[in-house]
Amino acid sequence: MSHMPTVAIVDDDEAVREALGDLLMVSGLACECFEGAAEFLAARRVRQFDCLVTDIRMPGMSGIDLIERLRDERAGLPVIVLSSVLDEATRSHALAIGARAWLTKPVTDEHLLGALAQAIASSGSSSKR
Amino acid sequence: MTATLLDPLESDVEGIAELASESIVILDPAGIIRYWNPAAERLFGWPALAVCGTDGAQLSPAPGDEANAWSQLLQEGAWEGRVRRRTRDGDVRVARVRRHLRYDGAGTLRDVVEYARAEPEAPGWAGAHDRVPDRSMAASWEIDVAPAADILARLAPRAPGADTSERDELLHGLVNAARIVEVNDRTARLVGGNRGRALMAGQSVAAFWPLESRTILANLILEARADREGRSVQRRLASDGILRDPLVTVWRAGDDRPDRLFVAVDGAADDDRSYLYLRASEARYRKLIHYMPVALWQVDASHMGKIYAQLRSRGVTDFAGHLDDHPELVEFAAASVPVTDVNRCAIELVGGASVQDLIRPVGYLFAESPDSLRRVMIGRFSGRKNYSEYMKIRALDGRLLDVRFSVTYPEPLLELDTTIFSLEDVTERLRIETELRQLQADFSHAARISTLGELTSSIAHEVNQPLAAIMTNAETSLRWLARDEPDIGKVAQLTTRIATSARRADDIVRRIRSMAVKQAPEPVPIALNDLVQESLLFVRHEIETRGIRVTTSYARRVPKIVGDRIQLQQVIVNLLINAAQAVEASCEADREIHIATRAGLKGEALFTLRDRGPGIDPDHLGHIFDGFFTTKPQGMGIGLAICRSIVAAHGGGVSASNHPEGGAEFRVRLPPARQAS
Repeated sequence: MSHMPTVAIVDDDEAVREALGDLLMVSGLACECFEGAAEFLAARRVRQFDCLVTDIRMPGMSGIDLIERLRDERAGLPVIVLSSVLDEATRSHALAIGARAWLTKPVTDEHLLGALAQAIASSGSSSKR
Repeated sequence: MTATLLDPLESDVEGIAELASESIVILDPAGIIRYWNPAAERLFGWPALAVCGTDGAQLSPAPGDEANAWSQLLQEGAWEGRVRRRTRDGDVRVARVRRHLRYDGAGTLRDVVEYARAEPEAPGWAGAHDRVPDRSMAASWEIDVAPAADILARLAPRAPGADTSERDELLHGLVNAARIVEVNDRTARLVGGNRGRALMAGQSVAAFWPLESRTILANLILEARADREGRSVQRRLASDGILRDPLVTVWRAGDDRPDRLFVAVDGAADDDRSYLYLRASEARYRKLIHYMPVALWQVDASHMGKIYAQLRSRGVTDFAGHLDDHPELVEFAAASVPVTDVNRCAIELVGGASVQDLIRPVGYLFAESPDSLRRVMIGRFSGRKNYSEYMKIRALDGRLLDVRFSVTYPEPLLELDTTIFSLEDVTERLRIETELRQLQADFSHAARISTLGELTSSIAHEVNQPLAAIMTNAETSLRWLARDEPDIGKVAQLTTRIATSARRADDIVRRIRSMAVKQAPEPVPIALNDLVQESLLFVRHEIETRGIRVTTSYARRVPKIVGDRIQLQQVIVNLLINAAQAVEASCEADREIHIATRAGLKGEALFTLRDRGPGIDPDHLGHIFDGFFTTKPQGMGIGLAICRSIVAAHGGGVSASNHPEGGAEFRVRLPPARQAS
């Protein structure tokens, strides 16, 4: 049985987390929300995620730090950045270190869900290989 | 021999005096004739040889008159009048004489110089003089009784003493109705206060004539008018505090002017102080006032003083309330309190051509701010010594001026009831102050925009968070609604969240906008603690993303301050950003900012901010508030400069120091709001 893909959402803003969680739910995706990178990393030790949607500017560990950490761990987890950071250097850096997509807040559901579908599909194909 | 009798100090003047056509006589302080020029020989019929060394008074057929004139001369320093002298042949010559005292360098009386001309007319001189004659240096008046025609008509048929009280009333009415045509200097000095001659003209005789002797004057007027030959009538009065045993003489001006009469009052000034001293001191005083570089108005509000006294005796204590009920009293004061004198600076200030332009009821000074007059009146009623405020006045040439208006009220126990207004033109000063405020506002606005620029990414992030939530929630709602069985409960929940996020976005935008718009500073009472909390909202995100801890300690009793909220927020935001940048590179344990509020020892409100950064280079401590001083590569160096300028504009101060335990410490001190009285 194909398991329902689970998406992790990391954002320090509760309103954003709740909104994203509801969108994914109505779109038939399971999701779990974390208010910071540290909480997500802790959960990852015990649970499997198919995709990560993360903000960049957060107190404590930033989104960039998180992506670097996952790259260093060779986690193979597709990461989508959803941020309001407009800095081109940060964007290129994030993509260079392995982020699949860089979406800017506010984002349309089509964009987000499209990016998620692509990311999950690619991660599925890579895991089959 | 004659030469030795001449004034030894002025021997070279001798020739001039010898040739003069006017009689010149010099007498020593004892009245002994010391010099007698040829014109005097002609006029008085005595050769100099015969009279030099003799007592001048012995030439007079009426030694009493001469003694009076002499004592008046010694008291007043000058005397002018008619002198009669017997000639060698036994005739009597009448001359018009001016006598002056002369003093030597040590200030002791040296001699008396007398100039004389033949009296052009016979005694009684009821001829049609155009001027009021300066008879005997008397206080002289020319009066017009035409306005009293009715009263004269009612008095005419009555025999004196028919009905005393009614007659007395009519006599007072006569003096009241009679108008002053002209007076001489002596009259103006004796009874005119310092209104001056010109200002007495046209006024009621009663306004200046002592009350006790008004019926006597009225009777003299009646008698003089009744005398067919136009002879003068005289009466000696009791000393009245102005002149000692004054002699009043009244005569008709002439048949061509039946309603005009001359009044002369002779007598020595009833004052212990010497006339010369008084005169000099008054002249000095007037000169001083006249050339004072402050615009001065002297007003006579004595009748208002009487009204206030009456009101007080009727139990009025709340004068402001009384004026609310009787606004007409303010109008009455505006129309009835006369300006009695002004100085040169006052004329310049209001752009008048002469004193006369300003000698009017005071109303014109308050046309632009009637409430000021009301406050001036309240000040006097409440017994203040002075009162001052800023107000606007309309100059005579139409300019609108900002002035600082001050009034000095009369001292209740002093006899003279004069109120002094002083006006200082502050138009230019206020204009410069306004310009400076505008510049400071422009400058701080520019600095705010620059600060907001530094915060752009934080701001974008902050605004985008609620927008992202709104957009996602809205699209999720549409998906729920698009289902075969729409989940209304879920949609309601999402819509509620949308509304919440929208409000949040609105709050943020509002806050940013208040910082970004350019507006004139608006002083309002502010609680310092609230101000600090609001400021923290601006930089919350900036501080959080840098992993900086902010610890706060708010004192409960911090005095309220008054100021422009946005500008003061700007100060705290700037200091916070500064501190955040200072600790950014520190290790996590040191990324801390401590802020505190408290009340200062002098009642001021204090805000302190301490960071655990590297501190301020001691060489820079003296400069960090200077404009364009910066240690940051991208910094403009206006952040702290604008902090200082804003705090200074609020009457406070800001200082920086290095904390003994490390890091920089900034202190902002703001004065407490004044308690509303």
